[in-house]
Amino acid sequence: MDFSLTDEQELLLESLRELLERSCSEEYMKECNEQHRYPEELVEALIESGFGMLGVPEEYGGTPVDTVTLMLVAEEICKQGGPHFVFGQALSIADMVEFGNDEQREQCMAEVMAGKPGFVLGFTEPQAGSDSSAIATTFTRRDGKVYINGHKTFMSNALRAKYMLCLARDAEAAGDAGKKAAFTMWWVPMDSPGVTVEPLSKIGWHMMDTCEVYLENVEIEEKDLVGVEGAGFMQLMANFEVERLLMAASMLGMAECAFGDAARYATQRVQFGRTIGSFQLIQEKITMMKLKIENMRNLVMRTAWKIDNGESVQVDSALAKLYCAQSCNEVIDDAMQILGGIGYTTDARVSRLWLDARVQRIGGGTDEVMIHIAGRTILKDYAV
Amino acid sequence: MTVVVAHKWAPNPQEATVAPGGTVDLSRAKPAVSEYDPVAIEVGRRLADAWGCELVGVSVGGPEIAAPMARKAALSRGLDRLVVVADERLSGAGATPTAVALAQAVGEVEDVRVVLAGDSSVDEGAHLVPSVLAGLLGWPSLAEVADVTADGGALVVERAQGSGSQVVRVDGPAVLAVAADAAVPRVAGMKDILAAGKKPVVELPLAGELPAQPEVVGRAPVPLAERGRRRIDTTDPDAAARELVAALRADGVL
Ligand SMILES: Cc1cc2nc3c(=O)[nH]c(=O)nc-3n(C[C@H](O)[C@H](O)[C@H](O)COP(=O)(O)OP(=O)(O)OC[C@H]3O[C@@H](n4cnc5c(N)ncnc54)[C@H](O)[C@@H]3O)c2cc1C
Repeated sequence: MDFSLTDEQELLLESLRELLERSCSEEYMKECNEQHRYPEELVEALIESGFGMLGVPEEYGGTPVDTVTLMLVAEEICKQGGPHFVFGQALSIADMVEFGNDEQREQCMAEVMAGKPGFVLGFTEPQAGSDSSAIATTFTRRDGKVYINGHKTFMSNALRAKYMLCLARDAEAAGDAGKKAAFTMWWVPMDSPGVTVEPLSKIGWHMMDTCEVYLENVEIEEKDLVGVEGAGFMQLMANFEVERLLMAASMLGMAECAFGDAARYATQRVQFGRTIGSFQLIQEKITMMKLKIENMRNLVMRTAWKIDNGESVQVDSALAKLYCAQSCNEVIDDAMQILGGIGYTTDARVSRLWLDARVQRIGGGTDEVMIHIAGRTILKDYAV
Repeated sequence: MTVVVAHKWAPNPQEATVAPGGTVDLSRAKPAVSEYDPVAIEVGRRLADAWGCELVGVSVGGPEIAAPMARKAALSRGLDRLVVVADERLSGAGATPTAVALAQAVGEVEDVRVVLAGDSSVDEGAHLVPSVLAGLLGWPSLAEVADVTADGGALVVERAQGSGSQVVRVDGPAVLAVAADAAVPRVAGMKDILAAGKKPVVELPLAGELPAQPEVVGRAPVPLAERGRRRIDTTDPDAAARELVAALRADGVL
């Protein structure tokens, strides 16, 4: 078993660290977070150095790399205190490369190249969270046009994105028959008449907006169909596993960031005449945090390796997402405990990580949904 | 016409450890392209692009500098090709033997118009190699170079002089030591890194004898100043500030 990185991976990570040192300082992150501002300068620097198009096929102007490399980059950005969402556009592009037509693909790519989100991923609705099959947004054909009606919620980047990849059901399809086959993906320009965006007020993730989006008789064209009609649900699922893994890799990085801050603090902070790191209760925390980080890394990298080797990761990616979401929160919480009062102030980035990490147990599929996916599949192997 | 950049494969100082006695231990630091050399590579890249010519890296040192990682690290930063002299006798070599080997490597490159080097190497910091190299080549040597531009086939060099600056026009070949802040080196992307593995590298055997090297027989760390342990009463902030400034003046800090 070879755990070493290739020369290329090491050089890429070194380059990335250099870039982050210049463009992602702690003060800069603090400022963006406080001002609820998207870190545009950081995203621009990442694009300029080719990180924005990492993992995108060459014919679309990117540099293809394996999944392990993508995960290493996602981990490193967060490990250095950067936000998770500045990397991984390659995966949203992947959806469009796979299912979009030439025009949609070009539009998505142009956005990503300009440092903007490729699109808003539009599936969650007030009544359809974990249960995506409850999606009620409809598409209706009338006089050669297509009309979208519905209410999407928790739409990340809706204020900044130019398009929505909108999952809607056929208004004509009756009842529950063929439920999943009723869903179709549409490419909806966010500036179309009938689209209303209202930001939600969150406790964290301040650098990125999350909004309610109301769609009222939004007129689009037949050409705005993405992929195959009725296959929307399957298309949505196609890249879910690697997207989940990307979240897990970012959470690993976040945990490492908090861990580094806490471990350094433990060697410096003096109480009762000794560094707090010399107390065994603190050492226990440091040890368990480290153990969780190692477990996270093993899960993430092994799952990435399996993807690169063409193996199924349905269970692995759910386990990685579940474990990393929970452990990342535990590690960051312990880091805050080690920092004491300072950790609860906005001067310590651990406080931002603490708030930002919590949603990872909810978004991208909740902990419970991960268990649901993994549990039934694991048991299938033991069915007699 | 060719632009050459001399660069070193040296320990990364960010991974250095400082022993309680004040000595710096670089033995466990991972090597990298020496801290200031990427600045020279960046300046060289711009110059080579302006002239439409090739940018060749030259590096001399112990056997480890011929390793694929060392080659790719340098080539990914914008060099077109590389000439290396890797020899046990150059491990930890001082300024003179290093310059002798560099002169050999530069001699193998055709039509060299300029050799650029970093401000100093991060581990030795002698600031001597470019001048000794220039002496060996019989070329002029300019240090603390802040900017270089091409004017036809000539070089217009801006360099720091005292607290001011000087602009020098150089027609023939020259060796320039580039200041650490002359340019912000570009960050290598995956495309550059992948391309680096495919760029040509020439490995030359070390020709001839190296001059004898003076031996280091003792080292002393920078003596730590005694702590003043003076306390300033801050009840009145204005008075405290005045007292602090006066104390700093008295100690020659301000
Ligand atoms: C900041 C943020 C950004 C987001 N961005 C996007 C986005 O860009 N696009 C998008 O489409 N969505 C987005 N989401 C939505 C996200 O995917 C949903 O929040 C998530 O899927 C959970 O849905 P829900 O919030 O409706 O919770 P619910 O599904 O209502 O779940 C509530 C609770 O019930 C549990 N539960 C539900 N079903 C079961 C079950 N079968 N068994 C056991 N427990 C169950 C859940 O695990 C959870 O604990 C975002 C959410 C947040 C918070």
